[in-house]
Amino acid sequence: MAMKAAVLRHIRLSAAPTRTLGLASPASCRWGGVLGSVFRSLSSHGDDHLSKDEVVDRVLSVVKSFPKVDPSSVTPDVHFQKDLGLDSLDNVEIVMALEEEFKLEIPDLEADKIDSTRLAIEYIYNHPMAG
Amino acid sequence: MASSAAAPSRSEVLSLFRSLLRTARDFSDYNIREYVRRRTIDAFRENKSLEKVSSIVAAYSEGRNQLQVAKRQSVVYSMYAPSIKSVMEVKGSSGSN
Repeated sequence: MAMKAAVLRHIRLSAAPTRTLGLASPASCRWGGVLGSVFRSLSSHGDDHLSKDEVVDRVLSVVKSFPKVDPSSVTPDVHFQKDLGLDSLDNVEIVMALEEEFKLEIPDLEADKIDSTRLAIEYIYNHPMAG
Repeated sequence: MASSAAAPSRSEVLSLFRSLLRTARDFSDYNIREYVRRRTIDAFRENKSLEKVSSIVAAYSEGRNQLQVAKRQSVVYSMYAPSIKSVMEVKGSSGSN
């Protein structure tokens, strides 16, 4: 999941081939934050990517507006099934709602892994096409 | 006719659920789109706690048939889509007058 995002990000860059060093190791699968923002600042597309705050806000508002969810218990690090008491069908519905909010198509393989707000925020923030 | 078909796995069931919801989005008609969504969610919820393998297999194949129907219909409907959108889709209308 992070590999694909990393490769896509690499394609957008006009320079800095040395930055691919960390990508080959499977251990670096959770490299959001720091490196990601460095990449983004070098992107040839300028500043059209969403800010982390905006992603967090919109993800949380999508989750909060799901009828079975208690809005007061939604935080950026809450698990859909363990903390919010949803089931796997609700999980699929929420991921679909996130797809619609950010105008993305999330492949099934990745969608199955998104089971918390933290993972949703991470995936969307790292997605080059999130809008 | 398969008399002892294996029950679909959990991920197959969720994949069918997701495919049906995606197909719903392809309809340009608001009413049909909402109906497919609602019906899918209701049917999967209703069958959520089925225990007997034969019932599970039957429900799953019924779902797959419905998916094929929905896919065909979304293609047909898209050929004759009306240009006027449903009032439910008009965003931010003031509602006055």
